[in-house]
Amino acid sequence: MRNPVASPHVRKSLYIYDLLRELVVRDMKLRYKRSVLGIVWSLLNPLFQMLVFIFLSHRVLSLDIPNYPSFVFTGVLAWSWFQSAVIATTGAITGNRELIKRPGFPAAILPVVTVTANLIHFLLALPVPLLFLLLGGGRLTGAILTLPLVILFQFLLLLGLGYLAAAVQVTFRDTQHLLGVFLILLFYLTPVFYDASVVSGRYQIFYYLNPMFHLITAYRAILIQGNLPDLRFLLALGVFVGVLLWLGRTVFTRASYRFVEEL
Amino acid sequence: MPKAIIVQNLSKSFRRYHADRPTTLKEVLLRGLRGLRRIAPAERFWALRDVSFSVAPGRMVGVIGPNGAGKSTLLRLIGGVGRPDQGNVEAHGRIGALLDLGAGFHPDLTGRENVFINGVIAGLTRYEVARRFDAIVDFAELETFIDNPLRTYSTGMQMRLGFAVAVHTDPEILLIDEILAVGDLVFQRKCLDRIAQFKDEGRTIVLVSHDTNSIQQLCDEALWLRRGKLVAYGPADVVAGQYVAEMSAETRRRTPAARPVVRTSTGAELQVNENRFGSMEMEIVAVRLLDLAGFPVTELDSGDPLRVEIEYLAPDPIPEPIFGITVSREDGLVCYDTSTEASGTHLPTVHGPGQITFHIDRLDLIGGQYYVDVGIYEREWAYAYDYHWHVYPLIVRLTGGEKGILRPPHRWEMEDVSVRHASLPTFEVS
Repeated sequence: MRNPVASPHVRKSLYIYDLLRELVVRDMKLRYKRSVLGIVWSLLNPLFQMLVFIFLSHRVLSLDIPNYPSFVFTGVLAWSWFQSAVIATTGAITGNRELIKRPGFPAAILPVVTVTANLIHFLLALPVPLLFLLLGGGRLTGAILTLPLVILFQFLLLLGLGYLAAAVQVTFRDTQHLLGVFLILLFYLTPVFYDASVVSGRYQIFYYLNPMFHLITAYRAILIQGNLPDLRFLLALGVFVGVLLWLGRTVFTRASYRFVEEL
Repeated sequence: MPKAIIVQNLSKSFRRYHADRPTTLKEVLLRGLRGLRRIAPAERFWALRDVSFSVAPGRMVGVIGPNGAGKSTLLRLIGGVGRPDQGNVEAHGRIGALLDLGAGFHPDLTGRENVFINGVIAGLTRYEVARRFDAIVDFAELETFIDNPLRTYSTGMQMRLGFAVAVHTDPEILLIDEILAVGDLVFQRKCLDRIAQFKDEGRTIVLVSHDTNSIQQLCDEALWLRRGKLVAYGPADVVAGQYVAEMSAETRRRTPAARPVVRTSTGAELQVNENRFGSMEMEIVAVRLLDLAGFPVTELDSGDPLRVEIEYLAPDPIPEPIFGITVSREDGLVCYDTSTEASGTHLPTVHGPGQITFHIDRLDLIGGQYYVDVGIYEREWAYAYDYHWHVYPLIVRLTGGEKGILRPPHRWEMEDVSVRHASLPTFEVS
């Protein structure tokens, strides 16, 4: 808790920070408030998914990927963050009717709140693949310093998508359900539990157009191979994310004038 | 004078959609082009149309009007919620709102956690909430429950907590939708006291209410909306009284707004619902401010006598009307307000033209700019027949070195201090 400040600009930024913090903390508290396991829940889900994929890879698909537990856990974590944040952000406006109607409440903060809350789950679970990696004899390299950048890109990607989806959801209330279906498809088209190099060349283009492919590849490069991520792809991703965020924010701002009427 | 709120030519429309407008993407896909056409609004209706007014800092304005007149829309637009279609709204100062009090409350969190969330949503930083925390809990009278989950609170307790947070946000402009029926009578009293305190502290308040009585009691000015249009904006008791009169079917009559602009003998324009209010069943034809010698004046020395001659016309017999006179300062402060009724003068039924004169033997006001407001009222004060507001200016000449409101007859006198000169300091008086 900091001291009061005189400058209105400083106060404004401080206020936005505090608002974000309160709303994120509320989100987290509510998720774990009345459960015995608490924060462990956010680990159990990806752990179980990982176990399923390990079973599949050994007994059904016979995928031959080194460090498979870390490999799949990294993919599952990044994907879970993506999927749950997209779904949650879509409902960020329709689910907070009373806040939108309050004088002075900045509606644009709501998608940031949901993406941030999901980022925190991601960060809490992140030590797990590292643990697997170290147990499996791997080692960390300096490449890990680029990890925050990749996380930032995923954050901004989610925010851009979130602004678009939240605005559309206000008019079409089934957006969230349709996105749920679409995300199941996208999950299989994203190399979460397999390696994209096994896909034949003709279909590679679909992977290159999928930002989650680049993100998961970058995570794996840093965490598992200990290499720097491919900077060309990262740069292209940065441009894409920037444009998407601008577009999302523009659409959201234009739509926000009608939020009060349509909620 | 700087204004706290300026509303200029404000218009806001809402879209009304086709009854079978698709609300899901699935429907849009299934119905193809025909469905897409149905997305566009069927029509627009104007919730507010060309509304202009301004509020000086520290004033309390009541917004009245029937349901659907646009009161809440106006309040939200002042608060920056939604965007006007035309015109603009300026609000100078931090806005607080007694609307949606429990916004952000969650039943599973404790009272303490909810105070922080609600306080931050209401516009405070965490530090500011922490500093006010004890005062908030004390005001809500919930000390012993504050660490229990909100779901264990009664509805009244939750409302109290919401109100307590809202009144501790330190707003410069406060927006209130309906006088709040919060908790028990004792707590309601506390809320009203708190609102009165806000007013005393010079904060600007806009109150939307159906209750014209509370508007008359609490507000300085009232703003009357009808189907999104501004009908009248002026002194709360007059506008609210006129609204009540129009609302009661037996006194509903021709629209006064159709009357032409009239000029007074001093050249001031009389414009219905701007500086002239009332049903016009009985009219003030002329008002003359006269000095001792009977000459019309616009300037006086403090302590001079003043005569106010009111010429009226009652086309139909009017039973026992009440004549009222108010001397108010330029900024709206009422310096003196009296009426025939207050002076124990009961008038008979009047019919046709006539004149009534009001004598003030000494006008003991401090120098400055004043207005003499004149009105004729229904015998039960139900509404005004005719009321001229801020039409007749009166300047009391400045004397210099004096401040305040009153300037009673006075003089200084000093005892002969020469006897005690040796032991006491003296005060020079000139």
